[in-house]
Amino acid sequence: MADTPEAIKKSVRTYMFVGAILFVGTIVTVLVATVPWLDFGHHGFDAMDCILGLTIATFKASLVAFIFMHLNHEKKAVYWLFASGLCMVCSLAGLTALALGDPIFDKFFYSGH
Amino acid sequence: MEIPYVVTPRKDTGLFNSKIAIWLFLASEVMLFGGFFSAYVFLRLGADYPWPERTLPVLPGLINTFVLIGSSVTVVFAWASLKLREWRKFQLFMGITVGCAMIFMVLKGVEYNVKLHHQALKLKDYSVVEGHLGVESEDGKPVLDHKGSTIEENLIFVEASKLTFDTVRFYKPWVEELSAQAEHHHSKVALAADVTAITKVGQPAEVIAKAGEPLSVELLNRIQAAHLAARSHNAANRTEALRAEWVTAKAANPGKKGWQIASGVNIDMAALAPTLLGEISTVSFSVDPPAKLDFRPRDIKAAEGQSRLRDDTVVDGKLLASPMVFHHIDAIDFQHLVMKAKEKGIDPEVAIENSWPMKNSAFVRDAWAWHQGEIKKLSAELLEAHGVGKNGKPRYVPTHKELYRIGWKDLAKMAEDHGRAKLSGVDAAKEEFFGPNYEARGDETFPGFSVPREQVGFASKFTPAWNTYYAIYFTITGLHGLHVIGGALVLAYYLFFGKKMYLSNPEWLANRVEIGGLFWHFVDLVWIFVFPILYLM
Repeated sequence: MADTPEAIKKSVRTYMFVGAILFVGTIVTVLVATVPWLDFGHHGFDAMDCILGLTIATFKASLVAFIFMHLNHEKKAVYWLFASGLCMVCSLAGLTALALGDPIFDKFFYSGH
Repeated sequence: MEIPYVVTPRKDTGLFNSKIAIWLFLASEVMLFGGFFSAYVFLRLGADYPWPERTLPVLPGLINTFVLIGSSVTVVFAWASLKLREWRKFQLFMGITVGCAMIFMVLKGVEYNVKLHHQALKLKDYSVVEGHLGVESEDGKPVLDHKGSTIEENLIFVEASKLTFDTVRFYKPWVEELSAQAEHHHSKVALAADVTAITKVGQPAEVIAKAGEPLSVELLNRIQAAHLAARSHNAANRTEALRAEWVTAKAANPGKKGWQIASGVNIDMAALAPTLLGEISTVSFSVDPPAKLDFRPRDIKAAEGQSRLRDDTVVDGKLLASPMVFHHIDAIDFQHLVMKAKEKGIDPEVAIENSWPMKNSAFVRDAWAWHQGEIKKLSAELLEAHGVGKNGKPRYVPTHKELYRIGWKDLAKMAEDHGRAKLSGVDAAKEEFFGPNYEARGDETFPGFSVPREQVGFASKFTPAWNTYYAIYFTITGLHGLHVIGGALVLAYYLFFGKKMYLSNPEWLANRVEIGGLFWHFVDLVWIFVFPILYLM
């Protein structure tokens, strides 16, 4: 992390640059979702839009985490803490995926048979 | 007492204490929001109704995203200013950050307000209309209830002649409400007959309340007290009698298990009757002359002749016409109807033609006919732009939502096509925030719409009750909003009360601001996912 005045002044320029990228990234996300000629995949919302939108969001979130939250040069303890949180999230998402095999998603149970 | 490691790092972690604490907290926050995002995926994949894709207005969400990103930049600038010992710059950047938080919450408040006042109605045939309800009026003036408030045209009316209360379950605010309503209609609600009961063993029945006594919570409380005392006394007597029966039965059946003799153990109610007191489980009041009482749909199970409230109060009387009246409708949605029709193997077009709105509203028929024309145009455009696939069919076709939903922008476009006013500039921008502008566009664009009560399937404002999409939307954005408020309060504290610490130990304040900033960046990070997921997908 920047600690000397010179390093901090240099970091400020990086923060401005990253801020600009975040603004642009947001605009790109909206354009991809709303402008027909930027609509990749099928017409309307589909898996491609989902992947694209979440990829841009993940890229933006990474910039916030690594630059603004200084994760690019943190101590090991922080990485362990953050990684454990992410692992738990992935586990939760995995549980959701497992749940898709649950009968609750089976139309049979709603169809009145 | 000196607090250790507020400026210097610990040797084992390499971090000052509050930093390790905030990262622990953020790791738990990652799991919290991760859980909600998982819930979102689960709800969306498991939805048994057409998921409202891209249903929220993008502009307020986009502006809020810019506001939060901007505040993320300024909060890190504020931290850098402290590191460089530039107090005035710190004040400026932190002030902007807190200001951004306020703007965010104001915009969020506007968005919520629009949702909470926008009515949706699913008819029994699964067609959906959206809009705003009117208010009850007479001679062009709004009718006011006993509290002086306007009455939304979504009430159930009963010409009540008798009210029967459950003496235990009656809900006090409703008793007062019914009394006040009857008084408003110049009707008297009074006990229909003397309330009598045996209150002492061996004594004749006593009059607890006389016929003609007006309805009040106090009166019901008095009857309830007598009822509960009698019920308690009777329960104790029955238990005592049953205990005696068991003793006798066990003596008569030595060696047998309890379950083997249980069927033969019964209380002799005839013998017990003289020792019991009179219970008064219900009490009836006459309404004279019968008064038109109104009830919110969620509070009453309405039926011809006798309706029942949620607290088991029975309302005797004629069920009056109680249509749900939209002052303006701004969307007609056949997506759910089509989904249901396909499940039953019915042609969607036939199902739509036979739907209640199509059969009973010329406006809906016109809108649908116009919409069909628009869909033809869109299909042609897609065909021209993308051609046909290997199977000989158009590669791209209109979406389910485009095919079967006529939203407020479609209705506005239809009106403009028919030569009606087109909004521009500030008015058009306002519509992106507040939804359709009924006043500017007029009744021809967004006309009234009345649905008889028997056609109402489910009605709700755009609240978590309407569907799981709004449930998860309010949960995630509400929780995020609370984080914004919490973070802004902490940052505002540093802004307004940090000077003393800055003068005594500026590095400590810088560390504190860094911690507050880390939380603020996390709030921004969550929104970076919330925006595309809830607003754009």
